[in-house]
Amino acid sequence: MTVLMIQSHYQAPFTMGGALFSRHIEAGTVCPVREMALTEAHFATATGLITSTHLDQIGFQRFHGAVKALLDRGGRWILNGHILRPILPELSVFQPIAMPKRADFEQIRLYDHPVFAGLDQKALETNRGVAGFYGRGHNPPPEGARVINALGAARTPVDWVWARPQGGEVLCHAGNEFWACGDDAALKQELADRAVAWVNGELN
Amino acid sequence: MSVLAIHPGAAYHIESLEGPRYAGYFDRLVRPEDLATVDLATFDVVFVPCRTPADRMIEHKERLRAYLDQGGTIIATGETACEAFLPGIRFTPQPTNWWWWLEPGADLGVRIASPGHSLFSHIGEGDITWHLHGWFDPPDGVEVLAVNGEGRPILYIDEVTTGGRMVITSLDPMFHHGSHFMPATTRFLDGFLPWMRETLDKGASA
Repeated sequence: MTVLMIQSHYQAPFTMGGALFSRHIEAGTVCPVREMALTEAHFATATGLITSTHLDQIGFQRFHGAVKALLDRGGRWILNGHILRPILPELSVFQPIAMPKRADFEQIRLYDHPVFAGLDQKALETNRGVAGFYGRGHNPPPEGARVINALGAARTPVDWVWARPQGGEVLCHAGNEFWACGDDAALKQELADRAVAWVNGELN
Repeated sequence: MSVLAIHPGAAYHIESLEGPRYAGYFDRLVRPEDLATVDLATFDVVFVPCRTPADRMIEHKERLRAYLDQGGTIIATGETACEAFLPGIRFTPQPTNWWWWLEPGADLGVRIASPGHSLFSHIGEGDITWHLHGWFDPPDGVEVLAVNGEGRPILYIDEVTTGGRMVITSLDPMFHHGSHFMPATTRFLDGFLPWMRETLDKGASA
């Protein structure tokens, strides 16, 4: 069973995820597919889905049924980025923090989801001492979602997980891929490994 | 109808091209996959936003060349790998120094090369300075507008390679503006897009 990873951005030659996911791709656990080469068959044979901040959200609408079917049968989806074109009716458009200050980027763990449990969220708060790379707003959580990580005194729900009543789960991160944040290479690899394991149903 | 923007559909494209701040600068948006259905000759400017995936543009390479040769203008901003679909582009990527401004007395080195150019009545040096992704080796005869710390072009206008005009930059303002990140990129667009309307768009009323 494989995790479908949609590669939206251009690289020549095409690679996906760089070193963080190479082991999983070589093992066949993760199947990277160019966005324009995607077919419904890719979804039908996947255990779950990983999308990036570069996703073509307009083009992705054509897979509305395939995404829904994947979740209906219990599949998991890690959704990175700002939602501007919700593909499910329960998802909503990204809300940026207005005029954010440093304190608005403080990261607070609210729920020890297995992808993040035991990891120091503070290590993801800054890159070289600069905050704001992790997230700058939130995708409004659907009813019943559980907030994993929040930002600042407003507790902006930057990361949440939603067990969809009809089946499947969505882990949403309102920013660039969360395994690319912070300065700790080992932590990034750990997050990438856990992301794959969770989407593949091996981490619960 | 005078400015056509390519719309690849990422969140930062949607925010930049459709958001109220800049939507009025684009008369029509077209998906890369639909470019063949548009008569490019009816537009004065074709705008290719940052991080348009080049593999979605390559099939239109000859169409874009024909548009340029009949006098059209193409603007391509950063991280589009435009050398894959536009003529005469030689680009050298460089590792991105996101942190240059943390060093004492920091100076990224970006400089305006043509201070008298009309673009710089809209933007200043601080509005083209955020970080660098690479530089160009353009053909002789182009007008270089901005250079990096080594004096290599990062923004230029080429009216020699084709019968039209290419405005080429390695700066990536739409990606960052559309990601709600880096105020300099918003300042750049606040000046660049009005300049585009006033200077490049012959049919504009602005």
